[in-house]
Formats: sequence, C-alpha cells, structure tokens
Amino acid sequence: MSYDFDLVVIGSGPAGQKAAVQGAKAGKKVAIVERDKVLGGACVHRGTIPSKTLRENALRVKNMRANAALANFQLAEDTEMVTLINRLDQVLLAHDQYMRKQIDRNNITRIHGRAKFIDSHTLEIARVRDADYCIKAQNIIIATGSFPRKPDNIAVDHEYIFDSDSVLSMLYLPRSLTVLGGGVIASEYASIFQALGVKVTMIDKYPRPLGFLDQDLTDKFVHAFESMGGTWLGEHNVVSAEFDGLAGVITRCDNGLEIKSEKLLCAAGRIANVKDLAIENAGLSLSDRGLIPVDNNLRTSVANIFAAGDVIGPPSLASTSMEQGRRATCNAIGIIMGRIASTIPSGIYAIPELSAVGLTEQQARDKHGEVIVGKANFEEIARGQISDIQDGMLKLICAPDGKELLGVSIVGEGATELIHIGQMALLSQSPVDIFVESIFNFPTLAEAYRVAALSVIGQREQRGKG
Amino acid sequence: MSDQALSDAANTVAGQLQHKIDQRQLDVPMLPEVASKVVTLSQDPESDAAKLAQLIQSDQALAGHVMHIANSAAYTPNASLVSLQQAITRLGMNLISDIALAASISAKMFKAPGYESHINYIWRHALATALWGKEIARVCRRNVEATFLCGLLHSIGRPVTIQCLLELAKKNDTELTEQDMQLLEEKYHTPVGIAVAQRWQMPQIVCESIEFFHAYENANLAREQTTMINGGAAFATHLLKPEVLGAAALGELPVLADLNLYDDEIATLMDKKDDIKSTMEAMLGR
Repeated sequence: MSYDFDLVVIGSGPAGQKAAVQGAKAGKKVAIVERDKVLGGACVHRGTIPSKTLRENALRVKNMRANAALANFQLAEDTEMVTLINRLDQVLLAHDQYMRKQIDRNNITRIHGRAKFIDSHTLEIARVRDADYCIKAQNIIIATGSFPRKPDNIAVDHEYIFDSDSVLSMLYLPRSLTVLGGGVIASEYASIFQALGVKVTMIDKYPRPLGFLDQDLTDKFVHAFESMGGTWLGEHNVVSAEFDGLAGVITRCDNGLEIKSEKLLCAAGRIANVKDLAIENAGLSLSDRGLIPVDNNLRTSVANIFAAGDVIGPPSLASTSMEQGRRATCNAIGIIMGRIASTIPSGIYAIPELSAVGLTEQQARDKHGEVIVGKANFEEIARGQISDIQDGMLKLICAPDGKELLGVSIVGEGATELIHIGQMALLSQSPVDIFVESIFNFPTLAEAYRVAALSVIGQREQRGKG
Repeated sequence: MSDQALSDAANTVAGQLQHKIDQRQLDVPMLPEVASKVVTLSQDPESDAAKLAQLIQSDQALAGHVMHIANSAAYTPNASLVSLQQAITRLGMNLISDIALAASISAKMFKAPGYESHINYIWRHALATALWGKEIARVCRRNVEATFLCGLLHSIGRPVTIQCLLELAKKNDTELTEQDMQLLEEKYHTPVGIAVAQRWQMPQIVCESIEFFHAYENANLAREQTTMINGGAAFATHLLKPEVLGAAALGELPVLADLNLYDDEIATLMDKKDDIKSTMEAMLGR
C-alpha cells in the first residue's frame, strides 16, 4: 500500500506537536491535522495558558490589596475580563508563531481540518473552506485532547453556566461564582477568581479538594482559599444547577442547601475528545471511562495507531502529554526508548500553588510503613516572611531508614518551580542529606529543603537512639 | 472631491454630511430615555429585577409592549404572565432587557418619509443579527452576553444616514435619486454609526463592532464579537431574504470559515431558524 505520509498526527496540542516534530526529526514525512485555525489546542487557547495569564493578574491584584499601605487599591466592580487577561493576545501570538515556525522548519505538512477515520490507515479531512479529501498514513497518532464533561443535571449555556472551556469568555468579572468540582481545574479557577475579589463557593462530593494530595497540603490550600473569603463545601451532592430566570444561578444540593450566584463554573472533569473521529471505523473503541486504551508503548489495540495526551486519560498534564507524544512517535517508527519516567511532577496553578513529585505521604505509608516525614513551614523561612507567603509548606517524605527520598510535596507560591530541586534529587537517587550538605542561596524559599531535611535527619537520629 | 457616480445634488449633500461628521455636528436621534436606562441598568452589577420592572413601568407603552411579547407564544405559550415582575422572574432580567431595548430603540424613532419600509427592513435585520449572533457565540463558546446589543446596533448608522440625507436634501431644496441614497448610505453608514454609538455612550465593544463590521479582521478589542456579528448578519439575510442569500451561498461565506464553523455546526445553527424567526416576530410585537 502506498501512503501519503509516514505519520499523521491528529491534534496540535502539547502531545500532537511534540509527536509531529519527533517524527520529522527522524526523517519521516509527517502531517499534523488541527481542527482549529490556530495551533496549540485547548492547552494554549482555552485552558492552561489563558488561565495562567489570568492567574498572574489575580496574584497582582491580591498583592496590591495586601499592600494597601503602599497603594490604595480597589478593583472596579465592573472590571472586564479582557483587562484581566490583558497580555493573552501577545502570549498566544508568540506561542502560535513559535509553533508555526517549528512546524515549518521541520517540513511538517499542516492541515487545517477535522479528521475522521475511514479505516486504520485512511483519514477523511473535513474543511471549513474547501471540499473534503482523504489522506493515507502508515502510522497515525491520536492526540485530540479532551473537552469538558457535561453532567445531565447542569444546564451549561455558556451565558450563565460555563464549563472550563468557556469560563474565560465571560465579559465582566462576576460578583459571585459557584464552582462545581474539587479537582485541579476547579481548584485553580476557584482560587484565582476569589483572589480577584469574586465571592466564590466551591462545592464537591468529596470531603476535600485535590484528594490525590496529602491532607495537610490540601488543608493549607483550603485555609488560604477561605482566608481570601472563599467558601469550601465538601461532602455536598449537587442535584441541579440552573439559571434562575432572574439574574443568576441557583445550585441545589441533596441536603436542601441552595446557593445563589451570578455565574457558575461546572468543572466536572474532562473526557476524551473523539466525537468526530469515528474511531470505530479504524477498529478502535473507548474504555469504560471514555478513554482510548493504550499499552505501555502508547499503542492502541490497532497496531499502527497510537494515542497520547488527555485522550488516554490521567495524569492529563501538558508536561506529560509532550513526552507521551514524543514517545508515541518513537514507538511508532521503531526508535528504542526506555520506560517513561515515573517521577512526573504534578503542578496545580491555584493560589497558592501546589506541586508534588514521587510518592505522597499516604502512598509512602501504604507502601513502606513507618516513613519519616520532614516539614518546613514557609513562615519559618526568612524569604517566606519577607515575601509574606502564608500557607506555605514543603514536605520531604523519606523511607523508614530516614535516608532514601521517596517524594516531595509543596504548597505555597513558587511550588511548581521549587519542586524540580526535589525531582532532581529523586531522579539521581540522592539521600535526603544532600539538602543539608548543599548550600542554598539565602534568603530563598529553596532553603525550606534544608529545614525539612534537618527535621528528617533529627527524627532519624532519634529513631536510631530508640 | 466629487464622486462620479453621484448626481451633483448628491455630491453637495455628501459634502455637507461629511462636514457634519467631521465637526461632530451630526443630528443624532435622541436615545429614548428608557433605552438608555435599560443599557445602564443591564451593566450595573447592583441592579436587580425590581429596578428593571420599575423602569419599564415608567413607560406605559413600553410596559404593555414588553408584557405582550413576554406572553407571546415564543416565550410563554400559555400566556399566563400577569405582571412585569412575574415576567422578569420567568424570562430573566437579561432577556427582558433585550426585549425592552429592541422595543424602545426601533424603526419608529426615525423620520424618513418614503423610506419607512427600507428602515423597517434594516431594523428587522438588525434584530435577527442580534439573535443569530447569540447562537453563533454559543456554538463557538465565545461571549454570549454582549452579542445582542452589538448585533442590534451594528447597522444603526444606516437609518440615521438616511434621515440626515433627507433632511440635508430638504434644506438644499433638492431631491436625491434612489441610486444616490443607496450609494450614500453605503458610504456613510459606518462613520455615522460610530458617531451615534459614541453619542449614545455605548460600551466600547459596541462602538468597535460598528466600526469594524465590514472588516472584522481589523478589529482589536472586539474582534471575536465583530466576527460573530458579521456571521449573524449573514444568517439574518438568509432568514429574511433567502432569495438574496441561499443556504448554499451562506455556507460558503468566508466569515463562516473565519469563525471555524464546520458544515455540521452550520447545519445545527440552521436548525434554529424557526425559533429565531418566532422570537424575532414576538420581539417586534407581532
């Protein structure tokens, strides 16, 4: 069979883009299909980058409020969202240009259209301007990402009730916002909007948000969120949420509680974006969880089709998706690779940030028993005091011998950057003592590593004496 | 400099109109007080339904009109609404604001003898544009809130231009041909529209969507909004004059491609045709 391309990648988000570039660099004839006019997928245009841009301004607003003695600052009540995401156009333009250049430089064929499987090697491309046509590829990588899950009892209309793809299209900053969910997206938006002065109520069926992290970390997050004026309602089952026909949204819980807010964000998870792909034509089907199942090599049940990124499910991090995309291509074209790193850091860009790498304390206890945990609260660190970083904590989780590092968890501003020090220690299998034997800049938040390590060593010595 | 396609009389009138625009001396019709207050109220985060009901009740004709529309089949099939407060509760403050705006700023505001039906069409088209714009915004997951106002006012410069041209011609004791009127309406409706929106102190997003309606790719703050309005206007033309813009031609318009609307998404929008038509007729009080 003759093919138009050695490799066709569907989707230009973090996974698709890296998959295509890897294929081209290996000398293959590659095409990337994107349904939007712009490259980058939801990560660049609807999620990660826009929300981080908003977050930067939310932090500025929060800091200006906190420093009222320096500047008598008050955000106007009718602040337009566009002023709060003011640099987004420049950020997106720069990103788009960079990606276009990279794709052109590597001679990757860019196809603006919507792909649909005809069979396992053939894709039909629907286009907005011209007639549809078909392409044939030896290997295909599905990197179409995800879109927001829409529960039956929530009437998302993108006017009063938004999902995580449309929430930033609000024209004005609302006075109040209900956030349904307790995951990463819900926690990020809830804390960002609260920092901007919106009255936020966050509701979830679980007792605490971000349940995959240790409780002491999420306690700090909830404390910080409530200190800003937010309300966390755990263990609440939402029965319905609808526009009240007047000027806002009513959210009803099964215990009779009713919450009124001007707008609502439904952040009830994301599902694989395969609705236009007709994957059944290629012999593929979704798992019970609505994801494309893959093996350790990111290969689907059809030999020449691979999948990477959100479409295969957790951890659904842009960082991981990029590596999955690259690996999917390598596996497809026969470049031998080692196993994907298991020490993937997770970064949650809430206010404050949270980040973790390796095992959590709970996971370590389940696996190793009496582990030793050293903590450093940011208020005990000079830089934490200077920068007025409240609710910050760094935690080192060590094996029962008190030497082997198993994981690092951090909550507080700078967590997503700080985590990489711990990640490198984990990857190089350094003993916890490295944080004491190394000299850190003073004053820095990184000094917290030293304080937490000293705590571990102290406990280790106590345990040795016992 | 004179325009070759225009009659001498039209060139004189055009010069005078341009002068009025340049000197900011355009005779802009007064925004009905109640419409101005509706815009202010709908943008005031402190406003509530009671204030809106009170405002609409202050204009007896408008209150009657709003109740008539609210009780029409498009909104309340069993015609059970008895009070404005109840209508606002049932239909929502934003929708009642839209109805009140569409009712208070209307074709009747303009005095243009001989051009009543043309202005009537412009107004029906603007209302349809506003309604289609909202649906496009929903499909594109862009802002839905401001689209109605932008759509409703995107062609406000047209009737004002016609009225000004007729007044100037009368003052010059001359007459303009139908061709003159058409050419001048095309030439001046955008600057006149901007002047009207500015005089009426409309939000920046409305002013920009008027300014860049025909070249939405040049819009800055309101690029998405303006593109959606332009697309909405195309759907409106198809709805009102399918003989001018058929379904196939509509689907081929560059603006729909610029909105990145695929064939199935256009088909989904087309399914809303009957709903939009009945909503529009209801809003016009028919």
